[in-house]
Amino acid sequence: MNWSLFFDLTVSGLTLGSLYALIALGYSMVYGILKLLNFAHGDVYMIGAFMGWFALHGLGGPISPDVGAWIVTALMFLAAMAGCGVLGVVIERFAYRPLRDAPRIAPLISALGVSFFLQNSALLLFGAAFRDYDSFDLIGVRTRHVGNVYLATPQILTVIGAIVLMIALTLVVARTTVGKAMRATSFDREAAAMMGIDVDRVISFTFFIGSALAGAAGVMFGLVFGQIYHYMGFIAGLKGFTAAVIGGIGSIPGAMLGGLAVGLLESYATGYLPQGSTFQNLYVFAVLIAVILVRPSGLLGRAAIQKV
Amino acid sequence: MKKSLFALLVAVLAFAAAGTGGASTRSSQAAGAALINCGKTRSIGLMAPITGPAASIGTLQVKWAQFYVTRYNRAHRTKFKLVKEDTQLGGPNGNAEALKGAQALKGNGKVLGVVGPAGSNEVKGVTSTLKGGGLGFVSGSATNTTLTTDGTRTGYFFRTVPPDAQQSKSVSRFIVSNLKYKKVYIIDDQEAYSTGLSDEVEAQLKAAGVTTTRDGVSQQQSDFSALIAKIPRDTQLVYIPWQLAPKAQAFGQQLRQAGKASIKLMGSDGLFAPEFESLSGVYDSFFPVQPTDATIKAYMASHGGNGDFFGAPSYVAAQVVGRAIDKACKDGRASRAEVRRWIAKTKLKKTLLGLPVSFTKGGDIKGGVFGIYQSKNGKFARIA
Repeated sequence: MNWSLFFDLTVSGLTLGSLYALIALGYSMVYGILKLLNFAHGDVYMIGAFMGWFALHGLGGPISPDVGAWIVTALMFLAAMAGCGVLGVVIERFAYRPLRDAPRIAPLISALGVSFFLQNSALLLFGAAFRDYDSFDLIGVRTRHVGNVYLATPQILTVIGAIVLMIALTLVVARTTVGKAMRATSFDREAAAMMGIDVDRVISFTFFIGSALAGAAGVMFGLVFGQIYHYMGFIAGLKGFTAAVIGGIGSIPGAMLGGLAVGLLESYATGYLPQGSTFQNLYVFAVLIAVILVRPSGLLGRAAIQKV
Repeated sequence: MKKSLFALLVAVLAFAAAGTGGASTRSSQAAGAALINCGKTRSIGLMAPITGPAASIGTLQVKWAQFYVTRYNRAHRTKFKLVKEDTQLGGPNGNAEALKGAQALKGNGKVLGVVGPAGSNEVKGVTSTLKGGGLGFVSGSATNTTLTTDGTRTGYFFRTVPPDAQQSKSVSRFIVSNLKYKKVYIIDDQEAYSTGLSDEVEAQLKAAGVTTTRDGVSQQQSDFSALIAKIPRDTQLVYIPWQLAPKAQAFGQQLRQAGKASIKLMGSDGLFAPEFESLSGVYDSFFPVQPTDATIKAYMASHGGNGDFFGAPSYVAAQVVGRAIDKACKDGRASRAEVRRWIAKTKLKKTLLGLPVSFTKGGDIKGGVFGIYQSKNGKFARIA
């Protein structure tokens, strides 16, 4: 057994999986509350990556930033999270709220429309050329190794950052009043409204949080992989959705688990299976189908109880 | 009864197919033969990745083609105009944008010849459209060997760069004789250009006793870390004949991140772009250009000292099409078929490629080898 390869693949899988987990959380939270698959979520992640890039260049750029490199990085995250949070609220207000009582297909179509709108808006506004995050110049990419395991700075930042954000989200949902309101609304929206909960505000807050996490994931992607482009959200969104379904759509721990599972699966498939790099998407989506067939509610999801 | 019906059906289908094929040949001949008044301003179609992942090389091709047109227009009473179509090579729509551009040029009656497209897969994708319009097309960068050997575009497609059969020989010779490496990892990007070149280099290296491992990535992929983890640390060289320089740059950076900076990286002509050039020490194979040529010097003088060499063969491609249009328009009227015939008969004694330009029957430039370059201080310098 080549342990060096195994550890390298594990690090790679956890890094990628952290990104998928952050995206999957947005899908799960929105589905939990509205039973809506927000297909525009992957493109919110892409917009977050661009917001981070513009913040970076607004603060002097990677080579000679106006303030310290780590402060710039923190501000990039803040800009992307705040910007995407607001974007998420706007999308919910204008593309989904008017369709809340419409047949389920209507907001789904609207979500697809928003996705294409965001992608093509990015193409129009930012152009089709790739933009570089220049992590090497910004935060340096020191590669540390423990034995045969190599860890680069952006990878460490991504995994730790994702863990911190996921813990923060769990605490918000479990320990705060607004978190309780979110749980109540996801359980029974009508009853929550009757109990005096401002459902519209809770839903807006959910979109804000989910989109903010996607924005953070976008910046992490740029720091780890270097380049961002207007169609990067499409496949990432699909993978995030896959992760949410595998983990159990509507379940926050499920989304985290699903994200890490998809990241590790991609990584191990690349490393161990024939033509793994070329067909990694094939393997991921094959597992999605298998999980749905065997356990339709996902790994940590609960089977929906139908009232008769 | 059933056998008779079956035989009748086969006969009808065969007749229809023959009729269609004939109609297609007739329509392309008809389209190519239509005479137009040349007028004072003649149109040359230009297909290049002006935007998209390959924009860094596409814009160089546009600049060089435009440079030809500007110089020509300054020196002649008749003028040329470029009709540009953006192919977005490497974009999410695949060849769809190239196809749209080809259809637009085919439908534009004023366009008499085309420069481009850039990518080998694009050439394959647009062949039937451009042939259907009777248009000859000259690429300054599509190098896949089969483009001129499979017989599907003879008399229509030409190129001002040597084919990958030449490139692969230059690359293999350099790895075996100059670098003397014994362990090489080859990664293609699944497109026609890349897989064809990878196949040729792999076969030649194996024949020379080099241990090779082969893998592939999708052009849409950004995370190469798992693939890089697979590359053994005692690999001496990773060969990535890709089309998209930003992806190659990301690969090189991730290779360094993984602590494998000692493994050398080598690209092909598609990566002769600033992004790949920025990775210090990488090798690349590229078409022949003559840096001391007066035209190149004039270009550099008017473009801030930048040679933008990737686009230089597109200047020659525009030159070939321009001259063919001039010859065809001698009597004031020309057809696309005439322009094609003149392209095939091209004889340029001196060009900025450092060699005369004429074409084989298949459309290949005669003579010409690929040079090997290495990035030093952020710029490619020829080393072999």
